[in-house]
Amino acid sequence: MVSLYAEKLLNIICNDSLEEKLVCMFKKYGVSGYTILTARGEGPSGHFSDMSGFDANIVVKVILPESRMQVILESIERKIKKGHHLTVYISDVQVITPDKFEKTIR
Amino acid sequence: MNLSSLLLPAVLFFALGVIARLIKSDLRFPPDLAKVLSIYLLMAIGLHGGYELAKADIAIAFQSIIWALILGFALPIIGYLALVATRKVSPLDAAAISAHYGSVSAGTFLTAIAYLDNLSIQYETYPLIMLAVMESPAIVVGLLLAAKARHTLAAREGGVKIAKDSGEKGDFKDMLRDAFTNGSVVVLIGSMIIGAIAEPSGMDKLKPFIDDIFMGVLCLFLFDMGMVAARRIGDFKQVGIVLAAFGVVMPLVGGVIGVYVGANMLDFSVGGAMLVGVLGASASYIAVPPAMRLAVPEANPSFYLTLSLGITFPFNVIIGIPLYHGLAKAMVL
Repeated sequence: MVSLYAEKLLNIICNDSLEEKLVCMFKKYGVSGYTILTARGEGPSGHFSDMSGFDANIVVKVILPESRMQVILESIERKIKKGHHLTVYISDVQVITPDKFEKTIR
Repeated sequence: MNLSSLLLPAVLFFALGVIARLIKSDLRFPPDLAKVLSIYLLMAIGLHGGYELAKADIAIAFQSIIWALILGFALPIIGYLALVATRKVSPLDAAAISAHYGSVSAGTFLTAIAYLDNLSIQYETYPLIMLAVMESPAIVVGLLLAAKARHTLAAREGGVKIAKDSGEKGDFKDMLRDAFTNGSVVVLIGSMIIGAIAEPSGMDKLKPFIDDIFMGVLCLFLFDMGMVAARRIGDFKQVGIVLAAFGVVMPLVGGVIGVYVGANMLDFSVGGAMLVGVLGASASYIAVPPAMRLAVPEANPSFYLTLSLGITFPFNVIIGIPLYHGLAKAMVL
Protein backbone atom coordinates (compact mmCIF):
# COMPACT_ATOMS: atom_id res chain seq x y z
CA MET A 1 0.00 0.00 0.00
CA VAL A 2 1.50 3.33 -1.07
CA SER A 3 1.37 6.05 1.61
CA LEU A 4 -0.38 9.32 0.86
CA TYR A 5 0.56 12.72 2.30
CA ALA A 6 -1.59 15.83 2.52
CA GLU A 7 -0.57 18.96 0.59
CA LYS A 8 -2.35 22.03 -0.74
CA LEU A 9 -2.99 22.75 -4.41
CA LEU A 10 -3.08 26.44 -5.32
CA ASN A 11 -4.93 27.25 -8.55
CA ILE A 12 -4.81 30.68 -10.17
CA ILE A 13 -6.70 31.73 -13.31
CA CYS A 14 -5.49 35.01 -14.80
CA ASN A 15 -4.32 36.79 -17.93
CA ASP A 16 -1.07 35.52 -19.45
CA SER A 17 0.54 38.94 -19.07
CA LEU A 18 0.81 38.16 -15.34
CA GLU A 19 2.76 34.94 -15.89
CA GLU A 20 6.21 36.47 -15.45
CA LYS A 21 5.17 38.25 -12.24
CA LEU A 22 3.67 35.10 -10.74
CA VAL A 23 6.77 33.06 -11.56
CA CYS A 24 8.94 35.75 -9.92
CA MET A 25 6.73 35.59 -6.84
CA PHE A 26 6.97 31.78 -6.67
CA LYS A 27 10.75 31.97 -6.82
CA LYS A 28 10.86 34.73 -4.22
CA TYR A 29 8.68 32.92 -1.69
CA GLY A 30 9.90 29.44 -2.52
CA VAL A 31 7.79 26.78 -4.17
CA SER A 32 8.99 23.42 -5.44
CA GLY A 33 7.58 23.92 -8.92
CA TYR A 34 4.58 25.11 -10.90
CA THR A 35 2.56 24.13 -13.96
CA ILE A 36 1.02 26.62 -16.35
CA LEU A 37 -1.71 25.78 -18.86
CA THR A 38 -3.28 28.08 -21.42
CA ALA A 39 -7.00 28.51 -20.99
CA ARG A 40 -10.01 30.35 -22.30
CA GLY A 41 -13.25 31.30 -20.68
CA GLU A 42 -15.52 34.12 -19.67
CA GLY A 43 -16.24 35.89 -16.42
CA PRO A 44 -18.59 38.46 -14.93
CA SER A 45 -16.42 41.33 -16.18
CA GLY A 46 -17.09 40.10 -19.72
CA HIS A 47 -13.54 39.81 -20.98
CA PHE A 48 -12.35 36.42 -22.00
CA SER A 49 -9.31 35.10 -23.70
CA ASP A 50 -9.08 35.03 -27.46
CA MET A 51 -8.49 31.98 -29.57
CA SER A 52 -6.10 34.06 -31.64
CA GLY A 53 -3.31 33.95 -29.08
CA PHE A 54 -3.71 37.66 -28.35
CA ASP A 55 -4.75 38.24 -24.78
CA ALA A 56 -4.87 34.62 -23.60
CA ASN A 57 -5.70 33.31 -20.16
CA ILE A 58 -3.65 30.87 -18.12
CA VAL A 59 -4.26 28.47 -15.26
CA VAL A 60 -1.36 28.21 -12.83
CA LYS A 61 -1.10 25.19 -10.53
CA VAL A 62 1.23 24.89 -7.58
CA ILE A 63 1.39 22.10 -4.99
CA LEU A 64 2.92 23.26 -1.71
CA PRO A 65 2.87 22.64 2.03
CA GLU A 66 0.25 24.64 3.93
CA SER A 67 3.01 26.43 5.90
CA ARG A 68 4.22 28.19 2.72
CA MET A 69 0.78 29.16 1.48
CA GLN A 70 0.05 32.30 3.53
CA VAL A 71 2.88 34.50 2.27
CA ILE A 72 1.99 33.67 -1.34
CA LEU A 73 -1.69 34.40 -0.76
CA GLU A 74 -0.77 37.79 0.75
CA SER A 75 1.22 38.64 -2.36
CA ILE A 76 -1.68 37.57 -4.60
CA GLU A 77 -4.06 39.67 -2.53
CA ARG A 78 -1.85 42.73 -3.09
CA LYS A 79 -2.10 42.15 -6.84
CA ILE A 80 -5.89 41.86 -6.65
CA LYS A 81 -6.07 45.12 -4.66
CA LYS A 82 -4.05 46.82 -7.41
CA GLY A 83 -6.84 45.87 -9.83
CA HIS A 84 -5.53 42.68 -11.44
CA HIS A 85 -8.14 40.02 -12.14
CA LEU A 86 -7.12 36.74 -10.56
CA THR A 87 -9.38 33.84 -9.66
CA VAL A 88 -7.74 31.91 -6.82
CA TYR A 89 -8.87 28.69 -5.20
CA ILE A 90 -7.14 26.16 -3.01
CA SER A 91 -7.87 22.49 -2.67
CA ASP A 92 -6.62 19.61 -0.56
CA VAL A 93 -4.64 17.06 -2.47
CA GLN A 94 -2.70 13.94 -1.59
CA VAL A 95 0.75 13.16 -2.92
CA ILE A 96 3.04 10.17 -2.73
CA THR A 97 6.35 12.08 -2.68
CA PRO A 98 6.08 14.80 0.01
CA ASP A 99 9.86 15.50 -0.02
CA LYS A 100 9.54 16.84 -3.54
CA PHE A 101 7.33 19.70 -2.36
CA GLU A 102 9.68 20.73 0.43
CA LYS A 103 12.38 21.73 -2.09
CA THR A 104 12.47 25.11 -3.83
CA ILE A 105 13.28 26.08 -7.41
CA ARG A 106 16.66 27.81 -7.62
CA MET B 1 -13.45 56.55 -52.60
CA ASN B 2 -12.29 53.75 -54.81
CA LEU B 3 -14.72 50.89 -54.25
CA SER B 4 -12.47 48.39 -56.00
CA SER B 5 -10.26 48.57 -52.88
CA LEU B 6 -12.91 46.56 -51.06
CA LEU B 7 -12.38 43.76 -53.56
CA LEU B 8 -8.78 43.20 -52.55
CA PRO B 9 -8.39 39.47 -51.75
CA ALA B 10 -6.95 40.34 -48.31
CA VAL B 11 -9.96 42.53 -47.42
CA LEU B 12 -12.37 39.93 -48.81
CA PHE B 13 -10.75 37.26 -46.60
CA PHE B 14 -11.14 39.59 -43.63
CA ALA B 15 -14.86 39.81 -44.47
CA LEU B 16 -15.00 36.02 -44.81
CA GLY B 17 -13.55 35.69 -41.31
CA VAL B 18 -16.22 38.04 -39.95
CA ILE B 19 -18.98 36.15 -41.78
CA ALA B 20 -17.67 32.75 -40.62
CA ARG B 21 -17.94 33.94 -37.06
CA LEU B 22 -21.35 35.58 -37.48
CA ILE B 23 -22.91 32.45 -39.01
CA LYS B 24 -21.35 30.48 -36.12
CA SER B 25 -19.24 28.29 -38.41
CA ASP B 26 -17.17 25.65 -36.62
CA LEU B 27 -14.08 26.97 -38.44
CA ARG B 28 -11.20 27.38 -35.98
CA PHE B 29 -7.61 28.39 -36.57
CA PRO B 30 -4.83 27.00 -34.38
CA PRO B 31 -4.61 29.22 -31.27
CA ASP B 32 -1.35 31.00 -32.08
CA LEU B 33 -1.77 31.22 -35.87
CA ALA B 34 -2.30 35.00 -36.02
CA LYS B 35 0.80 35.51 -33.88
CA VAL B 36 2.91 33.21 -36.09
CA LEU B 37 1.66 34.88 -39.25
CA SER B 38 2.30 38.36 -37.87
CA ILE B 39 5.90 37.36 -37.10
CA TYR B 40 6.29 36.20 -40.72
CA LEU B 41 4.68 39.38 -42.08
CA LEU B 42 6.89 41.67 -39.96
CA MET B 43 9.96 39.65 -40.93
CA ALA B 44 9.17 39.79 -44.65
CA ILE B 45 8.30 43.50 -44.65
CA GLY B 46 11.36 44.22 -42.47
CA LEU B 47 13.77 42.39 -44.82
CA HIS B 48 12.24 44.07 -47.82
CA GLY B 49 12.23 47.51 -46.20
CA GLY B 50 15.76 47.17 -44.81
CA TYR B 51 17.06 46.28 -48.26
CA GLU B 52 15.44 49.41 -49.71
CA LEU B 53 16.42 51.61 -46.77
CA ALA B 54 20.10 50.76 -47.20
CA LYS B 55 19.90 52.96 -50.28
CA ALA B 56 17.86 55.66 -48.50
CA ASP B 57 18.65 59.20 -47.41
CA ILE B 58 19.79 59.29 -43.76
CA ALA B 59 18.43 62.82 -43.21
CA ILE B 60 14.89 61.85 -44.28
CA ALA B 61 15.13 58.64 -42.23
CA PHE B 62 16.09 60.71 -39.18
CA GLN B 63 13.23 63.19 -39.80
CA SER B 64 10.81 60.26 -40.11
CA ILE B 65 11.94 58.92 -36.74
CA ILE B 66 11.44 62.33 -35.09
CA TRP B 67 7.94 62.64 -36.57
CA ALA B 68 7.11 59.07 -35.55
CA LEU B 69 8.07 59.97 -31.97
CA ILE B 70 6.01 63.16 -32.07
CA LEU B 71 2.97 61.24 -33.37
CA GLY B 72 3.52 58.44 -30.84
CA PHE B 73 3.57 60.90 -27.95
CA ALA B 74 0.90 63.35 -29.18
CA LEU B 75 -1.86 60.98 -30.37
CA PRO B 76 -2.48 59.29 -26.99
CA ILE B 77 -2.67 62.70 -25.30
CA ILE B 78 -5.29 63.86 -27.85
CA GLY B 79 -7.19 60.59 -27.33
CA TYR B 80 -7.00 60.89 -23.55
CA LEU B 81 -8.32 64.47 -23.51
CA ALA B 82 -11.17 63.52 -25.88
CA LEU B 83 -12.13 60.48 -23.78
CA VAL B 84 -12.01 62.37 -20.48
CA ALA B 85 -14.17 65.10 -22.07
CA THR B 86 -16.89 62.52 -22.89
CA ARG B 87 -17.17 61.71 -19.15
CA LYS B 88 -18.17 58.19 -20.17
CA VAL B 89 -15.05 56.40 -18.92
CA SER B 90 -12.84 56.68 -15.88
CA PRO B 91 -9.50 58.50 -16.38
CA LEU B 92 -7.70 55.17 -15.98
CA ASP B 93 -9.77 53.58 -18.76
CA ALA B 94 -9.09 56.70 -20.84
CA ALA B 95 -5.32 56.32 -20.28
CA ALA B 96 -5.33 52.63 -21.26
CA ILE B 97 -7.52 53.16 -24.33
CA SER B 98 -5.58 56.16 -25.62
CA ALA B 99 -2.25 54.29 -25.36
CA HIS B 100 -3.63 51.87 -27.98
CA TYR B 101 -4.32 54.73 -30.38
CA GLY B 102 -0.82 56.18 -30.16
CA SER B 103 0.70 52.82 -31.00
CA VAL B 104 0.22 51.11 -34.36
CA SER B 105 -1.27 48.02 -35.94
CA ALA B 106 1.10 46.23 -38.27
CA GLY B 107 -1.89 44.33 -39.74
CA THR B 108 -3.52 47.58 -40.86
CA PHE B 109 -0.20 48.88 -42.23
CA LEU B 110 0.36 45.70 -44.27
CA THR B 111 -3.18 45.84 -45.63
CA ALA B 112 -2.42 49.42 -46.72
CA ILE B 113 0.70 48.17 -48.51
CA ALA B 114 -1.38 45.48 -50.25
CA TYR B 115 -3.83 48.24 -51.26
CA LEU B 116 -1.03 50.39 -52.74
CA ASP B 117 0.56 47.42 -54.54
CA ASN B 118 -2.80 46.52 -56.00
CA LEU B 119 -3.19 50.00 -57.47
CA SER B 120 0.51 50.05 -58.51
CA ILE B 121 1.12 53.18 -56.42
CA GLN B 122 4.73 53.88 -55.42
CA TYR B 123 5.51 54.62 -51.78
CA GLU B 124 8.57 55.51 -49.69
CA THR B 125 9.99 52.89 -47.30
CA TYR B 126 10.52 55.42 -44.48
CA PRO B 127 7.04 54.78 -42.98
CA LEU B 128 8.37 51.30 -42.19
CA ILE B 129 10.91 52.78 -39.75
CA MET B 130 8.07 54.88 -38.35
CA LEU B 131 6.05 51.66 -37.83
CA ALA B 132 8.89 50.24 -35.71
CA VAL B 133 9.41 53.49 -33.79
CA MET B 134 5.72 54.07 -33.08
CA GLU B 135 5.14 50.70 -31.36
CA SER B 136 6.53 51.88 -28.02
CA PRO B 137 6.22 55.61 -27.12
CA ALA B 138 2.44 55.38 -26.65
CA ILE B 139 2.92 52.73 -23.98
CA VAL B 140 5.11 55.16 -22.05
CA VAL B 141 2.54 57.95 -22.48
CA GLY B 142 -0.21 55.53 -21.36
CA LEU B 143 1.76 54.76 -18.18
CA LEU B 144 2.30 58.46 -17.46
CA LEU B 145 -1.36 59.31 -18.11
CA ALA B 146 -2.42 56.44 -15.84
CA ALA B 147 -0.10 57.71 -13.08
CA LYS B 148 -1.61 61.17 -13.45
CA ALA B 149 -5.15 59.71 -13.43
CA ARG B 150 -4.40 57.79 -10.22
CA HIS B 151 -3.23 60.97 -8.51
CA THR B 152 -6.32 62.86 -9.71
CA LEU B 153 -8.59 60.09 -8.42
CA ALA B 154 -6.73 59.93 -5.10
CA ALA B 155 -7.02 63.71 -4.68
CA ARG B 156 -10.74 63.52 -5.49
CA GLU B 157 -11.18 60.91 -2.79
CA GLY B 158 -9.92 63.34 -0.18
CA GLY B 159 -6.20 62.91 -0.46
CA VAL B 160 -6.21 59.22 0.30
CA LYS B 161 -2.73 57.93 -0.29
CA ILE B 162 -2.58 55.41 -3.09
CA ALA B 163 -1.55 51.99 -1.91
CA LYS B 164 1.96 51.58 -3.19
CA ASP B 165 3.57 48.25 -3.58
CA SER B 166 7.25 48.31 -2.75
CA GLY B 167 8.03 47.02 -6.21
CA GLU B 168 6.21 49.79 -8.08
CA LYS B 169 9.34 51.62 -9.21
CA GLY B 170 10.84 48.37 -10.43
CA ASP B 171 7.55 47.64 -12.22
CA PHE B 172 7.79 50.91 -14.13
CA LYS B 173 11.35 50.12 -15.21
CA ASP B 174 10.33 46.63 -16.32
CA MET B 175 7.42 48.11 -18.20
CA LEU B 176 9.67 50.53 -20.07
CA ARG B 177 12.03 47.70 -20.95
CA ASP B 178 9.09 45.62 -22.19
CA ALA B 179 7.78 48.57 -24.22
CA PHE B 180 11.03 48.91 -26.15
CA THR B 181 11.92 45.23 -26.47
CA ASN B 182 8.52 43.83 -27.36
CA GLY B 183 8.47 41.05 -29.94
CA SER B 184 7.18 43.06 -32.91
CA VAL B 185 9.85 45.74 -32.46
CA VAL B 186 12.65 43.14 -32.25
CA VAL B 187 11.41 41.22 -35.32
CA LEU B 188 10.88 44.35 -37.40
CA ILE B 189 14.08 46.23 -36.53
CA GLY B 190 16.17 43.02 -36.58
CA SER B 191 14.85 42.06 -40.03
CA MET B 192 15.42 45.59 -41.32
CA ILE B 193 19.05 45.47 -40.20
CA ILE B 194 19.51 42.01 -41.77
CA GLY B 195 17.87 43.27 -44.99
CA ALA B 196 20.18 46.29 -45.04
CA ILE B 197 23.49 44.47 -44.46
CA ALA B 198 22.87 41.10 -46.17
CA GLU B 199 24.48 40.30 -49.52
CA PRO B 200 22.06 41.16 -52.39
CA SER B 201 22.62 37.70 -53.89
CA GLY B 202 21.47 36.14 -50.63
CA MET B 203 18.45 38.40 -50.60
CA ASP B 204 17.55 37.26 -54.13
CA LYS B 205 17.31 33.69 -52.85
CA LEU B 206 14.82 34.87 -50.22
CA LYS B 207 12.55 36.39 -52.86
CA PRO B 208 10.04 33.48 -52.89
CA PHE B 209 9.79 33.79 -49.09
CA ILE B 210 9.51 37.55 -48.71
CA ASP B 211 7.74 38.50 -51.96
CA ASP B 212 5.96 35.63 -53.69
CA ILE B 213 3.99 34.23 -50.77
CA PHE B 214 3.55 37.51 -48.88
CA MET B 215 0.04 38.37 -50.13
CA GLY B 216 -1.21 34.83 -49.54
CA VAL B 217 -0.01 34.91 -45.94
CA LEU B 218 -1.57 38.35 -45.48
CA CYS B 219 -4.91 36.88 -46.68
CA LEU B 220 -4.63 34.06 -44.16
CA PHE B 221 -3.71 36.52 -41.39
CA LEU B 222 -6.67 38.79 -42.17
CA PHE B 223 -8.98 35.76 -42.44
CA ASP B 224 -8.02 34.87 -38.85
CA MET B 225 -8.21 38.50 -37.72
CA GLY B 226 -11.71 38.80 -39.22
CA MET B 227 -12.84 36.02 -36.88
CA VAL B 228 -11.11 37.64 -33.91
CA ALA B 229 -12.64 41.04 -34.71
CA ALA B 230 -16.13 39.55 -35.13
CA ARG B 231 -15.86 37.97 -31.69
CA ARG B 232 -15.13 41.39 -30.25
CA ILE B 233 -18.05 43.00 -32.07
CA GLY B 234 -20.25 40.95 -29.71
CA ASP B 235 -18.96 43.12 -26.85
CA PHE B 236 -20.21 46.22 -28.64
CA LYS B 237 -23.16 46.67 -26.24
CA GLN B 238 -20.88 46.71 -23.23
CA VAL B 239 -18.73 49.44 -24.75
CA GLY B 240 -21.61 51.84 -25.43
CA ILE B 241 -22.29 54.19 -28.29
CA VAL B 242 -19.96 57.01 -27.18
CA LEU B 243 -16.91 54.77 -26.90
CA ALA B 244 -17.82 52.99 -30.14
CA ALA B 245 -17.96 56.41 -31.82
CA PHE B 246 -14.49 57.15 -30.39
CA GLY B 247 -13.27 53.96 -32.14
CA VAL B 248 -14.23 55.53 -35.47
CA VAL B 249 -13.53 59.22 -34.83
CA MET B 250 -10.08 58.77 -33.27
CA PRO B 251 -8.62 56.93 -36.31
CA LEU B 252 -10.01 59.67 -38.53
CA VAL B 253 -8.31 62.34 -36.40
CA GLY B 254 -5.06 60.33 -36.29
CA GLY B 255 -5.36 59.63 -40.02
CA VAL B 256 -5.73 63.31 -40.92
CA ILE B 257 -2.78 64.29 -38.70
CA GLY B 258 -0.70 61.41 -40.11
CA VAL B 259 -1.43 62.25 -43.75
CA TYR B 260 -0.66 65.92 -43.03
CA VAL B 261 2.70 65.00 -41.47
CA GLY B 262 3.50 62.65 -44.36
CA ALA B 263 2.51 65.11 -47.06
CA ASN B 264 3.67 68.43 -45.63
CA MET B 265 6.35 67.75 -43.03
CA LEU B 266 8.08 64.81 -44.67
CA ASP B 267 7.26 65.64 -48.32
CA PHE B 268 6.30 62.07 -49.13
CA SER B 269 4.46 60.99 -52.26
CA VAL B 270 0.74 60.08 -52.14
CA GLY B 271 1.60 56.46 -51.22
CA GLY B 272 4.03 57.46 -48.46
CA ALA B 273 1.70 60.11 -46.99
CA MET B 274 -1.15 57.58 -46.98
CA LEU B 275 1.02 55.11 -45.06
CA VAL B 276 1.85 57.75 -42.42
CA GLY B 277 -1.90 58.42 -42.23
CA VAL B 278 -2.51 54.71 -41.63
CA LEU B 279 0.11 54.75 -38.85
CA GLY B 280 -1.64 57.71 -37.21
CA ALA B 281 -5.04 56.06 -37.58
CA SER B 282 -4.33 52.52 -36.46
CA ALA B 283 -4.61 51.18 -32.93
CA SER B 284 -2.39 48.49 -31.46
CA TYR B 285 -3.75 45.08 -30.50
CA ILE B 286 -0.53 43.10 -29.98
CA ALA B 287 1.97 45.18 -28.01
CA VAL B 288 -0.21 47.52 -25.96
CA PRO B 289 -2.96 45.29 -24.45
CA PRO B 290 -0.60 43.13 -22.34
CA ALA B 291 1.35 46.24 -21.30
CA MET B 292 -1.86 47.95 -20.16
CA ARG B 293 -3.07 44.78 -18.43
CA LEU B 294 0.05 44.89 -16.30
CA ALA B 295 0.45 48.63 -15.84
CA VAL B 296 -3.17 49.75 -15.61
CA PRO B 297 -4.97 46.72 -14.14
CA GLU B 298 -7.80 48.98 -12.95
CA ALA B 299 -8.83 49.69 -16.56
CA ASN B 300 -11.43 47.41 -18.14
CA PRO B 301 -9.72 45.31 -20.87
CA SER B 302 -12.94 44.76 -22.80
CA PHE B 303 -13.05 48.50 -23.51
CA TYR B 304 -9.66 48.74 -25.18
CA LEU B 305 -9.74 45.32 -26.84
CA THR B 306 -13.20 45.83 -28.30
CA LEU B 307 -12.28 49.30 -29.52
CA SER B 308 -8.97 48.40 -31.14
CA LEU B 309 -9.84 44.92 -32.49
CA GLY B 310 -13.61 45.06 -32.91
CA ILE B 311 -14.13 48.60 -34.16
CA THR B 312 -10.98 50.48 -35.25
CA PHE B 313 -9.21 47.59 -37.02
CA PRO B 314 -12.18 46.64 -39.26
CA PHE B 315 -12.97 50.32 -39.83
CA ASN B 316 -9.43 51.05 -41.02
CA VAL B 317 -9.15 47.91 -43.18
CA ILE B 318 -12.47 48.42 -44.95
CA ILE B 319 -13.16 52.17 -44.95
CA GLY B 320 -10.15 53.98 -43.50
CA ILE B 321 -7.41 52.97 -45.96
CA PRO B 322 -9.19 54.21 -49.13
CA LEU B 323 -10.21 57.33 -47.18
CA TYR B 324 -6.60 58.14 -46.18
CA HIS B 325 -5.61 57.52 -49.79
CA GLY B 326 -8.14 60.10 -50.95
CA LEU B 327 -6.91 62.51 -48.28
CA ALA B 328 -3.28 61.98 -49.30
CA LYS B 329 -4.18 62.68 -52.94
CA ALA B 330 -5.78 65.97 -51.84
CA MET B 331 -2.87 66.99 -49.59
CA VAL B 332 0.11 66.01 -51.73
CA LEU B 333 0.61 68.67 -54.33
